[in-house]
Amino acid sequence: MARAITQISRYQVNPEEEQARAQEEIMKALTDNKDAVLNLITLVKRLDDLKVFQAANAFIEKGEDIGVIAMQQINQPTMHNVIKNAMGAFTFLGSIQPAQLNTIMEGLSHGMKEMSRTGEKGEKQSVWRLRLRFWTPEIRAAMTTMMSFMQGMGEVFLRNRREN
Amino acid sequence: MNEEKISFQFNGKGYTAKKGQTILEAAKEQDVFIPGICSHPNLGPIQTCDTCYVSVNGELVRSCATRVESGMTVDTQSETVKEAQDEAMSRILINHELYCTVCDNNNGNCTIHNTVELMEVEHQKYPFRAKPYPPDNSHPFYRYEPDQCILCGRCVEACQDLQVNETLTIDWSREVPRVIWDNDVPIDQSSCVSCGHCVSVCPCNALMEKSMLGNAGFLTGIPPKVLGPMIDLTKEVEPGYMEIFAISEVEAAMRKTTINRTKTVCTYCGVGCSFEVWTKGREILKIQTTAEAPANGVSTCVKGKWGWDFVNSEERLTKPLIRKGDEFVEATWEEALGLVARKLSEIKEEHGPDSIGYIASSKCSNEENYLFQKFARALMGTNNVDNCSRYCQSPATAGLMRTVGLGGDSGTYEDIMASDLVIVIGANPAESHPVLATRIKRAHKLHGQKLIVADLRENEMAQRANMLIHPKPSTDLIWLNAVAKYILDQGWEDKEFLENRVAGLEKFRETLEKYTIEYAVEKTGLTKEELIKLATMIHEAKSVCALWAMGITQHMGATDASTAISNLLLVTGNYGRKGTGAYPLRGHNNVQGACDFGTMPAWMPGYEAVQDPEVRAKYEKAWGVSLPEEPGMDNHHMVEGMHKGKIKAMYLFGEEMALVDANSNYVEAGFEGLDFFVVQDIFFSRTARYADVVLPAAPSLEKDGTFVNTERRIQRFYKVFETLGESKPDWMIFQEIANLMGANWNYKHPSEIMDEAASLATLFSGVSYDRLEGWQSLVWPVSPEGKDTPLLYQERFPFPDGKARLVPVDWTPPFDPGEEYDLHLNNGRLLEHFHEGNLTYRNEGLTHKVPHPWLEVSLELAKERNLEDGALVRLTSPYGHVEIRVMVTDRVSGNELYLPMNTRDELAAVNRLTSSYHDIITHTPAYKEMGVKMEVLETAGEPPLPRHNHRFGNRVPQISVKVEEKWKREDFTPIEQMYEIKGDQHGEGNYAN
Repeated sequence: MARAITQISRYQVNPEEEQARAQEEIMKALTDNKDAVLNLITLVKRLDDLKVFQAANAFIEKGEDIGVIAMQQINQPTMHNVIKNAMGAFTFLGSIQPAQLNTIMEGLSHGMKEMSRTGEKGEKQSVWRLRLRFWTPEIRAAMTTMMSFMQGMGEVFLRNRREN
Repeated sequence: MNEEKISFQFNGKGYTAKKGQTILEAAKEQDVFIPGICSHPNLGPIQTCDTCYVSVNGELVRSCATRVESGMTVDTQSETVKEAQDEAMSRILINHELYCTVCDNNNGNCTIHNTVELMEVEHQKYPFRAKPYPPDNSHPFYRYEPDQCILCGRCVEACQDLQVNETLTIDWSREVPRVIWDNDVPIDQSSCVSCGHCVSVCPCNALMEKSMLGNAGFLTGIPPKVLGPMIDLTKEVEPGYMEIFAISEVEAAMRKTTINRTKTVCTYCGVGCSFEVWTKGREILKIQTTAEAPANGVSTCVKGKWGWDFVNSEERLTKPLIRKGDEFVEATWEEALGLVARKLSEIKEEHGPDSIGYIASSKCSNEENYLFQKFARALMGTNNVDNCSRYCQSPATAGLMRTVGLGGDSGTYEDIMASDLVIVIGANPAESHPVLATRIKRAHKLHGQKLIVADLRENEMAQRANMLIHPKPSTDLIWLNAVAKYILDQGWEDKEFLENRVAGLEKFRETLEKYTIEYAVEKTGLTKEELIKLATMIHEAKSVCALWAMGITQHMGATDASTAISNLLLVTGNYGRKGTGAYPLRGHNNVQGACDFGTMPAWMPGYEAVQDPEVRAKYEKAWGVSLPEEPGMDNHHMVEGMHKGKIKAMYLFGEEMALVDANSNYVEAGFEGLDFFVVQDIFFSRTARYADVVLPAAPSLEKDGTFVNTERRIQRFYKVFETLGESKPDWMIFQEIANLMGANWNYKHPSEIMDEAASLATLFSGVSYDRLEGWQSLVWPVSPEGKDTPLLYQERFPFPDGKARLVPVDWTPPFDPGEEYDLHLNNGRLLEHFHEGNLTYRNEGLTHKVPHPWLEVSLELAKERNLEDGALVRLTSPYGHVEIRVMVTDRVSGNELYLPMNTRDELAAVNRLTSSYHDIITHTPAYKEMGVKMEVLETAGEPPLPRHNHRFGNRVPQISVKVEEKWKREDFTPIEQMYEIKGDQHGEGNYAN
């Protein structure tokens, strides 16, 4: 005969036993990873000396308030410009072909060398001699390049004026 | 079948499309990208988003609503097309802020996010405009945020034309349109049945599961005070969407480390919905449907979409319990299983193998049912094994097996949807098989399908039916036979079908003699006109499907009534063709599978008879045992056996027999007499109170396995969580007990159990886990090569001569408890709860919608007995009594009451009232044959059904989203018009031809 019963006697975990088992587990994990734990303690000590945890705790505790302040600061026209310009700069860099930039940079670097040599010697050249130098292939190449650069820039200026 | 193909040009290249396909569908199939936000494979063209514009022969058209025609030239790449699509997307973004990284819907499947990205939209052309409406958080499960709603109407289309609950509309007439519920009431107060269709199809975060909010992403829990300015900042400085998306995609990818998505199959009814469970740790984030799910696509019902938190209930059993004196004491598995093995062995030894009964579970997997019957038969030497189909569907199975040969639905939902006429008899699919009901409602609403409902109660399907008949209780066989006779008398039968494919016509015709229209009128209370109209509608329909459930099967003449349905279908040639057949609607997720895999006293797996020596020889060879030759006891016999002392011990898993079996006082008294009782469940059920050992099992989300749905479709479900506490999957528990008794089984995974079952049962010979991977499914019979059979009987019926049988059946008068029991007691289910409610009453939202059942009383009876909503009555039958509060409704009429079964409260449990009378053939209890008398305890009180239940809502039926009203708005400029003008300005007129 089995009458209906509803009483359930659950095994009550002894809190001391549970604590002892937990301690045992923690000790095992620590000893299994002795070197890593010791390194971690050193690192933690140094960070604590620098008050990193204190700051982090405060930051996390007041996360919402700080978030509001940070957003207020960031959400200003000047900051918008900073962010936009930073992103614009990235876009600009991204749009340049590395090979082209390389040629230009090499030219720039070589030009700087020539420029500084002239600067150091401090010799002045007559207008006539300068005029003669216009006929050299190097100057003509550089001048053509500069003119093309200016033409490209002018094209964008005109296009933007038309579109706006 | 060869589908007609059409050739056309896509961006200058030749392609083919299927006849009837839209340009958008054809493009998807050919991997040509056309944007599309409102379009969805499970919904019709909605035409609200306008992003799918393409140019056809030089003219801009919506590709979602334009069918491919032969020779058509489609262009998706020209400047004008791109501009039109960009314009459409820009209009969408007026209504939707792209803050993807901090959005809970940023999970890689957001339609808006992905479309904007694929379209390479860089900037928002028009500024975002918030709507003047606050979010609606009233519903317990989901919220609507108008500010994010793009008014695409997917939710409305899903509610109106897929679920067909007709709650959602878009009010295009107001200055700022929005989605509204009923006549603009808070969601919780509306007619919303909480099915979740709208949330599942929402292409963004406007409709979201509350369980996802602030919970899905790494940054989505940011408080609004910080989030608002963050979004403003992002918009202010954004270089373009592509850069923003790069960040949101990184975040979405990171979410994959915390959110798991696992396919499962629903356990709440026999429809067999499959979907993903999204989880974070042990927390369920949401149920996500997919168009790929074979039975349900994106559809779910309230229980499947939301009702899963029972798995984490603190009330779950997590340790075995052993009865010691007047209490249960927690024990180790070793102790508990050792005790079970020892006691079962002793009882078998002392009283013989047939002194133990085994009750299997229609909620558990095929593999578990297979293993349990193997345990009972091979190890314990008895065929005393049964499952809860005995409470519901055995008569339908028996009726079909004797007429058409196989005990399952003759086709799939495809056939029900394609049918010209659907007849629903004694079933309430809108509440008991909700997703299947949506398919009928859709076909009826949109495609002209006719619907006949035969029921005592005016349920939702009855309200929608073209014809509703209300015969006297328990007289269905009479009108079915009378209609069959009338059809034969008129010469309307399908003569060719009967001649070639059916045996027994002449005998059948003779036995119908007494079933004249006049006799039917007298016995059923239907009119002559109704009966003739029924016959005429069946005769005129090109294809007929008959669906039935407990209104037929829980009677003393249940198998015969099921047979009568099948006979009528045979007479009219409604088997073996698309859109035809018999569909008993299985009530639990695996009623079909439990029977298919052999937990029945007379059948081995695959309906191979226990009494057939060849069948036994096959299993004896495979299992290395000798098997009992005669069928064992069914559920009814076991209850009798407990009282007569023949059954000394029982082993029951996953079944709440104490509440669910009929005449429960008698069943519980039987349990009290047992020497030993093992109950295996996930909760401490009412049945468990009588146990000697209670074993903690694992629910479907904690194990792998397969279920068979009502279509005969076998589908896999995958383990979502580890088992809770020390609970174990049922199959593991069986194996451990078996091994303690020396069986030496070594199944490591349920797939190995399925392999064994498939190697033995011919019906499943080609079934394997590989063939069921992911969303794949197989509809049995499955050939060794893996070919399945969605539609049965296309060429032959599985009898030696290949012909179906017309089986003459006669009417069995119902049980009559006597004149003093003057009210008829009907009973069944409610949408919001499952069965006795052990799972669903543990869900806060479901309980908010329906806290407890109620008694439905007709307007006439309420007037006569002076009852109003909330009155408390006592119902008494010869077998017991219940006390329950009343709701007065026109769903029931006259002296007919309706008492739902969904309660754990013994004072309200309907089976305190039902009897042990049963179907004369299968022993299924005659739950539906009971009279009661009513005593009024309080004439008024708190109504048991809260006002925020959908039954008080006010539906607003319409077809789709009424996009024409959007187009008529003054502020709407058709996109094609804009680009015609712009085209002229550019000298690029669109009327080039």
